[in-house]
Amino acid sequence: MPTDTVIATTDNCRYCLMCRHVCPVGHVTRLETLTPHGWGLTIASVRRGVLRWDEATVTMLYQCADCGTCRAHCVTDQPLPEAIAETRAEVVAAGLAPAAVLAVAEKLAAFGNPYVDRHPEPATGEGPVALFVGDEVPYRWPTALDAALRLLAALNIRPALVGRGRNNGYLASSLGFPDLARSLVQATLEELVAVGARRLLVLSPGDYFAFHRLYEERLGIPRLRRLEVEEVVSLLERSLATGELSFRQTAPGAPYAYLDPTHTVRVDGRWEAPRRLLAAVFSEPPRELFWRRERTHPTGATALQFTQPDLAAMLTTARLEDARRAGARLLITEAAGDLAMLAPLSPRFGLEVRHLFEVLADQMVVPV
Amino acid sequence: MDRNPFLFEMIRSELEEIVGPDYIRTDEPSRLVYSTDWSWMPQMWLDRGERLPTPDYIVHPGSAEEIAAIMEVANKYRLPVVPWGGGSGTQGGAVPIYGGILIDLKRLDKIIAIDEKSLTVTAQAGIIGQQLEWALNERGLTLPHYAASSNCATLGGYLAPRGTGTVSTKYGKAEDMVMSMQIVLPTGEIIRTPPVPQHASGPDWPRLFLGAEGTFGIITEATMRVEYLPAARLLRAFLFDNLSHAIEAGRRIMTRRLHPFVIRLYDPESTRTQVKRVLGFDFEGAYMVIGFDGDPDIAALEEQKAIAICLELGATDVGREPGERWWHHRYDFYYPPLSLKLPWMYGTTESVATYDKIEQLYWAEKRAVEEGFREWNIKFIAHFSHWFHWGVMVYSRFIIEEPPRDAREALRLHNRVWNAAMEAVLANGGMINEHHGVGLKLARYMRRQYGDAWPFLVRLKKTIDPNGIMNPGKVGF
Repeated sequence: MPTDTVIATTDNCRYCLMCRHVCPVGHVTRLETLTPHGWGLTIASVRRGVLRWDEATVTMLYQCADCGTCRAHCVTDQPLPEAIAETRAEVVAAGLAPAAVLAVAEKLAAFGNPYVDRHPEPATGEGPVALFVGDEVPYRWPTALDAALRLLAALNIRPALVGRGRNNGYLASSLGFPDLARSLVQATLEELVAVGARRLLVLSPGDYFAFHRLYEERLGIPRLRRLEVEEVVSLLERSLATGELSFRQTAPGAPYAYLDPTHTVRVDGRWEAPRRLLAAVFSEPPRELFWRRERTHPTGATALQFTQPDLAAMLTTARLEDARRAGARLLITEAAGDLAMLAPLSPRFGLEVRHLFEVLADQMVVPV
Repeated sequence: MDRNPFLFEMIRSELEEIVGPDYIRTDEPSRLVYSTDWSWMPQMWLDRGERLPTPDYIVHPGSAEEIAAIMEVANKYRLPVVPWGGGSGTQGGAVPIYGGILIDLKRLDKIIAIDEKSLTVTAQAGIIGQQLEWALNERGLTLPHYAASSNCATLGGYLAPRGTGTVSTKYGKAEDMVMSMQIVLPTGEIIRTPPVPQHASGPDWPRLFLGAEGTFGIITEATMRVEYLPAARLLRAFLFDNLSHAIEAGRRIMTRRLHPFVIRLYDPESTRTQVKRVLGFDFEGAYMVIGFDGDPDIAALEEQKAIAICLELGATDVGREPGERWWHHRYDFYYPPLSLKLPWMYGTTESVATYDKIEQLYWAEKRAVEEGFREWNIKFIAHFSHWFHWGVMVYSRFIIEEPPRDAREALRLHNRVWNAAMEAVLANGGMINEHHGVGLKLARYMRRQYGDAWPFLVRLKKTIDPNGIMNPGKVGF
């Protein structure tokens, strides 16, 4: 049975078109069906008996990217991504989930990540500061972790490492497996308690969203009291402002663009920090993409990469096309999942992709 | 159409040859989603668990040439063709009531050229308004058609029903901004209108396609006049305890040729309900927002003149904040649950008339609705916006919070209320619509609206669209 949230939200969204202009899936597919209004109307119509869950409707339900852009632009904060995740859980419970969805869930249940057949590694270190490693960095862009640790070391921060190789729970939650998501989250929270952390650093806006909002709002997990969550990029920017961190400026080179990572829209105002850091490294400002800052569109680095690979590729390609149109030759971002999606396609657009932390670590002035 | 599998597949394969298999959809959820636009009637029908007529084929062409080829198929099989932009129309203009081929134009979303010297933009008709606006803003420009539907409506959707936006009082309606268009005719020809709208080289035939709502063809590209983003926007609000004085203030501002970009006057009932609910102001009387933009000195001077006019007519100047808050939240009225929302019954019976008639029209319509449907505890609210040198639009709405549960009964009641409102409008010299268009909802009033001129329009339609394929049942055709 649909919950009150699903009913109220989809009844609100089914005839509202006020976020159509920002929905990335609607934008790349140009299909009315694949917009917040389309998803809301379909879910509401199943409830009214005008449609039923079958292959066509379930496929459509799983074509939402769960990127949060609709909600970020909603004046009345309609939690449509949460309602869609809840509806997917109903579809899963009814035994109607597509095979690709079940395959991801099986991998997450067996290994805690959807990428490799390897179990999460135990937490290392202890102390008041921990870094959530997750699964995207080790399995999608492993060099980013070393860069992040070098930058933190320059600030005399040597964090305990938690969640090593474990998904942050978002994927399972997004696909309609809230219990599985809870079990993944719980394992990481237990590590945090065990290492004695009071402050948690995270490597991407996706992780920040998970710890800051998703667990409590979507999974009903109360926030750990006295646990402060901060993105590494925000910490670095503050350290730059106070002079604790400094960088050598590079000579003018190929024009570059900064890609706000997937889930940026879910973290208020986080787009200034990476740009300030880049301004310390590059003498030229970045070429700005059209889909940036509060209207950032995701790459395919959501569950779509597993369940709707063609759609994920369309989203990723759209980001590269945006960068190409802006005249960039180098594209910088800091979500490992995004970089892994972008890298194989980037040569086709004449673009090199780099991780922000690697760029920063290379140009960091090491304190004597 | 008869969904005989043989014929259905024959036509589908012909359409696939034109647009490719990835750009045609016939699945059930898509057909349902494309069965309703933003109008109350089909939404209510689905809300009550009833099924609507659906398109047989949803086609996503990538060029005007592909649309021309689709027209050939439609003419051959005598299939209805329904153009679809953002589906944000309030009058049922995009509802595929006879099935057929629904052409979603959103793949035609390219900006072709921005001319910063002549201040024009040329874009394909399927681009979403707000995305076009963002692209223009990056060059310091704006397309001053700020419709409440800009987040979802397309450029073609701005033009097809002759839409009007929030700042029309200074910058005009969408139709005033169009320089030229590319159109695919129902008979498949792709034509271009002259490059400029003001000339003396024959009749003004391009305007035939503005307001035709896809019954005369499909607009596929348009060149629009754009403006520089204003250096300043000055807004303030006034309260009038007398609606007549407020309308007179607007009239004086316009006829004395001041250039406000907005005058938004809420009647006392709207002020008490809508304005309080969305903006949080606990005002009594008629709340009026006035704005001037452009050069800061000129805007300030014009504002002083407008303030003097309002004070002369007994207004209370409530200052900038109530004006600015309205500006920053002007679209909040359209987000659920702040918007009017099912299962309520509502309708926007907006109209336009000259200054000598508008107030009488407002009171006549209010009386007809409130007195005619008292047993339904009906509410009538209105605001006056889109002011011209000669008159003003009244955006009147009726609301029934507890309408009949039965879909058929609800539809009949909706039509009866609308009939009463339109009778009052027509009897008092108003037009049946100012900017939402005619669509399905107002089609039945067209003969009466145009009188002896209506058969001429019907003959025109038959000449342009001999097989009657284009958006049948809309605009009275």
